[in-house]
Amino acid sequence: MSEKADIKVLLVDDEETLLEYLSKRLLREGFIVKATFSGEEAVAVADENAFDVAVVDLKMPGMDGVETQKQLKKMQPYLQCIVLTGHGAIDTALESGKHEAFEYLLKPIEYDTLVDTIKRAYEHKAQIQNAKFREEVEDIYRSGLGARGIKKAMGKLRKIYGID
Amino acid sequence: MELTDPQQHLKKVSRELPESKTESIEAREILRCVLQNTNDLVFATDLNGAIVSFSKSTEEVLGYRGEQIKGKHSKELAEDSVEFERMTGGLFEDGMVNRSDFPFRHADGHPVYCDVSFVALKDSKGKSAGCIVIARDITEWKKFQEELIRVDRLAEVGRTVSGTVHEINNPLAVINEISGWMGVVVSDSEGLNDDDRADLKTSIEKLLEQATRCRNIARQMLDFVRDSGPAGDSFDLHELLRNSVSFIFPELKSKDVEVLFDLMEGPLQMHSEPRMLEQVFVNLLTNAIHAIEEKGNGAGHIQISTRLDEKSVVISIADNGTGIAPRDQKKIFELFYTTKPSGKGTGLGLPICRNIVHKLGGAIHVESTFWKGATFVVRIPIRG
Repeated sequence: MSEKADIKVLLVDDEETLLEYLSKRLLREGFIVKATFSGEEAVAVADENAFDVAVVDLKMPGMDGVETQKQLKKMQPYLQCIVLTGHGAIDTALESGKHEAFEYLLKPIEYDTLVDTIKRAYEHKAQIQNAKFREEVEDIYRSGLGARGIKKAMGKLRKIYGID
Repeated sequence: MELTDPQQHLKKVSRELPESKTESIEAREILRCVLQNTNDLVFATDLNGAIVSFSKSTEEVLGYRGEQIKGKHSKELAEDSVEFERMTGGLFEDGMVNRSDFPFRHADGHPVYCDVSFVALKDSKGKSAGCIVIARDITEWKKFQEELIRVDRLAEVGRTVSGTVHEINNPLAVINEISGWMGVVVSDSEGLNDDDRADLKTSIEKLLEQATRCRNIARQMLDFVRDSGPAGDSFDLHELLRNSVSFIFPELKSKDVEVLFDLMEGPLQMHSEPRMLEQVFVNLLTNAIHAIEEKGNGAGHIQISTRLDEKSVVISIADNGTGIAPRDQKKIFELFYTTKPSGKGTGLGLPICRNIVHKLGGAIHVESTFWKGATFVVRIPIRG
């Protein structure tokens, strides 16, 4: 389960019992999971912890899925959002999905599909994050800093991207 | 308004009758014309209520021949003669009685609902002479009204169902998730002997199966009541048919069913709802596969053909499966009617197909010989 060990997942859904069991199962499989029961709670949690993937229900009282996604993305631009939508609401979801969800999943979700989608979302995140990281590294080298300057800048970058 | 006009006229006629001979002949001629040509039931009775003359339509609407009506007491034409007498009891005091939605009785026994007016006839001395009855058959109007109410109620049911099904989906998802969790725990648990573990695993699988079944019903239910906008699209029907077949290819392969295309040459461009049509074809093809599987003697094939008929495309999907028993043929398009074993069919597939086809301005019907196979024929306007 080492491939999943590092995947940090944020779950956002107002159906508490569902989330309870979903997170138990994901945890047991080796994901790092935080369950939140509203958009507001999710945003508060994401303010303090970094996540790789968020699974967000589209329809929630208070802050809805679209707004939650928007807020999360603002705080953590590389975070990938998987949006859960009800039957027949896909069109609405796509219309309002200007905030680039990684994927829309139809509710009720298949567990295996969800796990697979989370993994793919994580890979996607890692990819774009690494690409961006390399780009910035190259920028640093091109900038003509001395060896010490480069080391310092790299240290800063590692910190930003959470690479140890 | 038409109902009152001849009535007024008749009243006038009755008053003028005795005044002049010429006028009376003229009036009689008019009266004869009215009786011959009106669509309303018009008949005159004597003081005792026996019918003395009647319009042509009286025979037609109530299904009697002329000689059967003449002399008959008018109350015998009513569904409820007691009610008829009560209604007309005050006629000679009041001069006129009106009633809407009054049931007469057709010669073969069924009720004929009419809006009816009774007008008292008086002679020149003001003495009661009889009565004119004018009635209008409102059966069609009633049917139309009932249909309106039915459509309205269906729409209401649709909205309710849609809301309910959405609500049911949530607890279903929870059941699903908990079952999944139990499966994981049972698999990993060290305190279970092998028999118990196997038993629990099977039980949980069955739980999941049943939850999936509910979910499928819920999904189909939503498909059925969903209101799609008229957002049409242009597409090649032949490509759509091939796509529908490839959609169910895995099942065709596993059940050893061959699909033969007998399509018109080249692409067949049309303007309609491709996604909805695809749903219809996939549904019909799936039914065909099931019918072939149920027959169970292999060599199953499905033939898909297209042809043009005036401004419509006619698509036939023929299989050599079990066919449909004559008594089932009338019912297969009814909601919740299914011939499949409990748990296999929801009785929603064909009603959904019919719903869609009607929505697209087309028609669907089935031709089948029992145990030889069935052919579903779908007709869709080229430009919906």
